[in-house]
Amino acid sequence: MTDTLSIKAQLQTCRSKEETFKTLVTLSKTLPRLTAEEKTEDNKIKGCESAVWLIIEESHGIRHFKADSDAKLMRGVLVAILSLVEGKTLTDIQQMDLKAELAELNLSSYLTSSRTNGVLAILGKIASN
Amino acid sequence: MAFDPSSLRHLFPILAQTAYGHPLTYLDNAATTQKPLPVLNALQDYYRSFNANVHRGAHFLSDRATNRFEQARETVASFINAPEQSHVIWTKGATEAINTVALGLEHLLEKGDEILITSLEHHANLVPWQQLAFRTGARLRVLPLTSNGEWEPEFRHYFTDRTRIFAATQISNAIGTSTPLQIMLDHAKQQGAFTLVDGAQAVAHYPIDVQTLGCDFYVFSGHKMYGPTGIGVLYGKSHALEVLMPYQTGGEMVRHVSYQATEFNVLPYRLEAGTPNIEGVIGLAAACDFLSAQDRLALLTWEQSLASHVYSRLHKEGGIEIYSPEKGTTLVSLSVPNIHTLDLNAYLDSQGVAVRAGSHCAHPLMAQLGVAGTLRASFACYNTMEEANRFCDVLLEAIDLLSDE
Repeated sequence: MTDTLSIKAQLQTCRSKEETFKTLVTLSKTLPRLTAEEKTEDNKIKGCESAVWLIIEESHGIRHFKADSDAKLMRGVLVAILSLVEGKTLTDIQQMDLKAELAELNLSSYLTSSRTNGVLAILGKIASN
Repeated sequence: MAFDPSSLRHLFPILAQTAYGHPLTYLDNAATTQKPLPVLNALQDYYRSFNANVHRGAHFLSDRATNRFEQARETVASFINAPEQSHVIWTKGATEAINTVALGLEHLLEKGDEILITSLEHHANLVPWQQLAFRTGARLRVLPLTSNGEWEPEFRHYFTDRTRIFAATQISNAIGTSTPLQIMLDHAKQQGAFTLVDGAQAVAHYPIDVQTLGCDFYVFSGHKMYGPTGIGVLYGKSHALEVLMPYQTGGEMVRHVSYQATEFNVLPYRLEAGTPNIEGVIGLAAACDFLSAQDRLALLTWEQSLASHVYSRLHKEGGIEIYSPEKGTTLVSLSVPNIHTLDLNAYLDSQGVAVRAGSHCAHPLMAQLGVAGTLRASFACYNTMEEANRFCDVLLEAIDLLSDE
């Protein structure tokens, strides 16, 4: 899996909507897909027009994430989001300003309250107790 | 001589801009159209020269506002060939108009009565009837139409002596199909049902004659026909509007009020509680004037030629599922197997091409087509052949970028 720094660098250097699109397509290919058994109703995020599943596993206070979507760009966005929070504690995650970090990655258009995406719902679940 | 969209495109200043460095290509007209200068000017003129509340104060501005407000009702009545201006009720849009009818007819419905709709409806012409059925014990029935809008003789069995309401769209918002409206209305009328036509997708493209259609109610929204948002129309025949129980009460809709009782006003005011959307009404009349001044048939033919050009180009490419009929529509609704429509939409957006991706407020129809959603490019009179081609070019690029080799 591409490391966090490189994911950040790839997205930050995008100069246009088109470059961001192409970078997200590239990143989407690095996301390990969930199995059919993992794609349960419980793991599904409400509020996304594309289907998104997110699984959180915690061991010794450290959070690990697995996610998938039926839309390719959303898989790219998930790679970006998970790179920010993977392996952190809940407290660390809660202290982060994830919205601001995603805006720095040129992903702010995914943070609108439009019904076409549920990124805010994803961020909510990532930082939930 | 073919219609030339440049003859009126300059009236739409919003179109002369770039989106992310590309020329803005606006092909989301079935969601809402852009507004021409005459409409924008009418809105500003209202606030600059005759803003006042209508039907109330007896002063200079109030008289002017009331006159223009009631003139607008006349303009809209003649736009749809309604026999009387009192048959035109102002609403927020087609959705409120349908809810006004659904709630207004509730007192006439009994358990076992039937409400019939078609399988091509927008949620706005489905959910109000479904909820009405839940409240009254009536049964919601769905006339199955193919995506080509074909009529089969056996469909007549859906019209029974229990059919009290028949509500159908004139044109599907999701796939652009025209329904076999006249024959369905004839069958509904034979059974004595109230009939409602959802004209939201039709008014911008087709001249409307409610008397020829013969429906009891006809509804549409202003913003899909070059007018402002927040204004729409409920047309009804007198007897049909008379039986509607007002679902909103308050000022304007009353003649006399005491603590013991209220005497309701006459039509159209009885169904228009509260201060109306005066600027919306003025803007909608300007939109009707704009359209009436055009060669409507030339505009329609042009819009259809754009859609059929896109259809034939994409059909030739193969690998693209097109749900719209080949001819006679002003939009093209499609999907590409194994590629999410939101992904296609994101690439089109990055190139300045605005379309709609999703279920188009028609979940049951999407289920019937066997897709989660479609990508819809919908045309208006100001769209050019270059824009139709640009949509095809960019879509093909998107498919290329998103295909897994």
